[in-house]
Amino acid sequence: MTAQPMDLLQGTLDVLVLRTLAWGTMHGYAVSRWIHQRTDGVLEIEDAPLYKSLHRLERAGFVSAEWGLSENNRRARYYSLTPAGRRQFATEESAWRRYAEAVFKVLEPT
Amino acid sequence: MSDARKKLFRLPWRTARQIRDDIDEELRFHIDMRVAGLISAGLTPDAARQQATREFGDLDDARRYIGAVDRDIEAAQRRSDFMNDLWHDIGYAIRKLRAAPMFTLAAITTLALGIGANTAIFSVVNSVLLKPFPFPQADHLVRIRFTQQGHGDAGTPMDLVDYRTRATSLVGVSVIEGTTANLTRDNSDAERVQGVRVNANWFTLLRIAPLAGRFFAEGEDQASAPQVAVISEQLWRRDFSGDKSVIGKTVRINSTPFTIIGVAPGDRRYPITVELWMTKRWAPNELSDQSRGARWLGVFARVKDGVDLAVADNEVEKISEAMEKQFPEMFRERRAHVVTIQDYLVGDIRKPLFIVLGAVTLVLLIACAHVANLMLVRTTAREGEMAVRTALGAGRGRLVRQLMTESVILSLVGAVTGLAVAKLAMHEMLGRAPQNLPLVGSASIDGTTLAVTAIVALLTGVIFGVLPALQVGKHDLATALRAGARGTRSRPATNRAKQAIVVAEVAVAVTLLTGAGLLLHSFAKLLSVDPGFRTEGVLSMKLLLPQRSYDSTAIRAFIRELEARTRALPGVKSIGMANFIPLDGGSENYVFGIRGRPAVRPSDQPSTEARKVTPDFFATMGMPVIEGRGITSTDQPGAPKVVVVNHAFLQAFFPKEDAIGKTIAIGWGSDSGGDARQIVGVVGDVHSFGLEGAPEPTVYAPIAQRPDQSISIVVRTEGPPATLAAPLRAVVRDLDRELPVYSVQTMEERVTGSVGRQRFYATLIAIFAAVALVLSAVGLYGVIAYTVSQRTHELGVRVALGATGDRIARMVIGEGLALTAVGIAIGAMASVLAGRLVSSLLFGVSALDPMTIGGVGVVLVSVAALASWIPARRAARVDPLVAMRGE
Repeated sequence: MTAQPMDLLQGTLDVLVLRTLAWGTMHGYAVSRWIHQRTDGVLEIEDAPLYKSLHRLERAGFVSAEWGLSENNRRARYYSLTPAGRRQFATEESAWRRYAEAVFKVLEPT
Repeated sequence: MSDARKKLFRLPWRTARQIRDDIDEELRFHIDMRVAGLISAGLTPDAARQQATREFGDLDDARRYIGAVDRDIEAAQRRSDFMNDLWHDIGYAIRKLRAAPMFTLAAITTLALGIGANTAIFSVVNSVLLKPFPFPQADHLVRIRFTQQGHGDAGTPMDLVDYRTRATSLVGVSVIEGTTANLTRDNSDAERVQGVRVNANWFTLLRIAPLAGRFFAEGEDQASAPQVAVISEQLWRRDFSGDKSVIGKTVRINSTPFTIIGVAPGDRRYPITVELWMTKRWAPNELSDQSRGARWLGVFARVKDGVDLAVADNEVEKISEAMEKQFPEMFRERRAHVVTIQDYLVGDIRKPLFIVLGAVTLVLLIACAHVANLMLVRTTAREGEMAVRTALGAGRGRLVRQLMTESVILSLVGAVTGLAVAKLAMHEMLGRAPQNLPLVGSASIDGTTLAVTAIVALLTGVIFGVLPALQVGKHDLATALRAGARGTRSRPATNRAKQAIVVAEVAVAVTLLTGAGLLLHSFAKLLSVDPGFRTEGVLSMKLLLPQRSYDSTAIRAFIRELEARTRALPGVKSIGMANFIPLDGGSENYVFGIRGRPAVRPSDQPSTEARKVTPDFFATMGMPVIEGRGITSTDQPGAPKVVVVNHAFLQAFFPKEDAIGKTIAIGWGSDSGGDARQIVGVVGDVHSFGLEGAPEPTVYAPIAQRPDQSISIVVRTEGPPATLAAPLRAVVRDLDRELPVYSVQTMEERVTGSVGRQRFYATLIAIFAAVALVLSAVGLYGVIAYTVSQRTHELGVRVALGATGDRIARMVIGEGLALTAVGIAIGAMASVLAGRLVSSLLFGVSALDPMTIGGVGVVLVSVAALASWIPARRAARVDPLVAMRGE
């Protein structure tokens, strides 16, 4: 990992978390690992903002949380998308795609 | 967790500490997992922990941030839980109430009566006493009130001069003089309207703006200025259909042409009933020391902005002391004080209104007690249901809340129904309110009243709901469940609560009944006062002969002609006339001297009421001539000047000597030294100003010798007097088309009208007392009947052991009476206090009137006996076999 990790906007992180939870219910550590693996470490995301994001999304009603037992039999807090969260993700995803396309159009050599 | 499950099983609420612990646990789990992962990837435990911590970032900041977010989430959760519970409680309460329609109906009716009556009375109190008077800075608008032994609170023309020049804390002193006016517009019949004469600065004093046109300008009250008038909005809309072109038009007032210059807004009139304002113009000698004894004007002023009322009060009192020094005899101990216009107007109805408000509050308390009792019976019956809910996990707080919700719903529905009751009640009440209760007619249910009603309803719900609610959950769960939905046996605690409520109801009823009894007794006493004149079969009406077209000769001619034509009407026994008749609100008061007695300073002379009458006046009114003679047709202008005095005059001024033949000089003319008249007779006293006061010393002069513009006609009739109103009006119209006839009333109606206030208060309190009596009787019945049904088994055993039905019935009635006795005892103590409160409204009855108090006791004991007798009869018929098997 030679390149400097990119800075992430708060909103971007929320989209990533929503995307991750779209796969299914998981605890915070699993979310962290999942994002890490999917981005191959390019987005060197610290865990603190990730947890902030999870609780923020819970307050907004996009995710719900519940204590459960982890794979190694410890109490862990499991997050899942609510219907509102699913809708929110759809909206943000398409916005992101349009944004990214626009940026690519500029960057691509004609 | 799915939403549905979440609704069913709510997570328990978390404290701030629990939230912090949860966050720590969640974050610790993360770090531990990462450390374990890194170790399995080959790192040493120490290195692994270091890397995990580094990867996590600012742990403390995250903790703080997440803590804040989670606390928000928790608060939102609590709010939504509360609302969910509330909706749930409301839905449940409504279902429960609908399932018990009789209970619900009884409770709502009781509450609607209680709250409705309160709303109606409060709206009156609000508009009369609480709302500010509708003038800018009305709290600085004052009347200067004079107090002096033997005189009213009115001022003299010279008071205007004195206080205008001397009082530095006042601005815009003005006098006001009431008058009635015959108003004639082109080609219409004359109309009699209530008017006043004021100084030109009157409206500046009130600080109001005209609705149209302008108000009086400075100098328009000078004798030389053209005559102008301001009309009220009401008159403007009624007679001129609100047309602005009326400004500048000429009307005739008492036959004199006046130009209308402005319209005064209808809701800002003062005095309230006035429809016409004219300027007060002084006769040349009126503003001189000669007029200092003539007290008839209302003196108004505005206290300067920023100056305290107490300062102004102090100053006018000082001025009045200075005036006394200057005229020690005439102004002996005469003092001036300022009183705000509102206090002046409603001062003497404030106390009665608050008493009525207090009474109606007691009614509401009784209603509360009554509904609480109903609820108690119901909660006892619902103990099974409550036990089941407790077993399913509802806490006691939750059940109490549920019951309180039911109470508040009941009281809110009661309040809404009560508003309809209030609307009806106000319609009835205001229709019956005497005309002389100021501002009462303007009462309406406004925002303030609605807000107060809402608060009262909520409080009511809490008051009657709290006692039954607290009884819940005190019960042993297992017993209650076993008893099942049938409900449990009554417990002593609940019974005591019910009995306490009934005792309270009886006590309040006693208090109200005593108050009502005192007022009614006092009212009866008042009505039994002999007014001194015949009330049956006498019709009366009033006229005003305009000075412009009626000089003394014309007045005499008019009277002669009116007498002759009226006598010719069928059904007329006799006709009399006077300038003022008893209870018509008119009065004339003059100083006089008695010839042959040592001369006193002019300002030290005694004063007397004076009337001018026709020869047949005494006979028509049924006033007996006690000594000498009455007025006769020979008492004409050329004949010797005579006067007849009344009995009170005789006693006041000739207690030991014979008055007949003595001469008195009445100060009603312009001639100095007075109008000397020989006393030729003594007539009986009449109550001129009301039945409460003692008759005033009065002299009666022949109207032929002292003609007067004001004419009151009294006619004794053979049939019902009212039937002669139309023929008499026709007679007057034939004589002069411009003369409006007003105040057409039988003398009986005048007497009734004069006690209107007393009747009004007594009726209101009596209605409240009746409601209280009925509610407490029903409450007593309910408690006794309930006890009997609870004790069927015991009664059965007693019968089996040989008790007769009579004995059982006596026992049950005895219990009812015992409760009543306790209530009466407590109520009697409260009545002493209540009696003291109403004592100022009583006439001829002591606040501790034994007849009233005894009567109330008898009524309550009989009602209680009756209320207990019905269940007692049932108890007496208990069949021991059935009763004991039923157990």
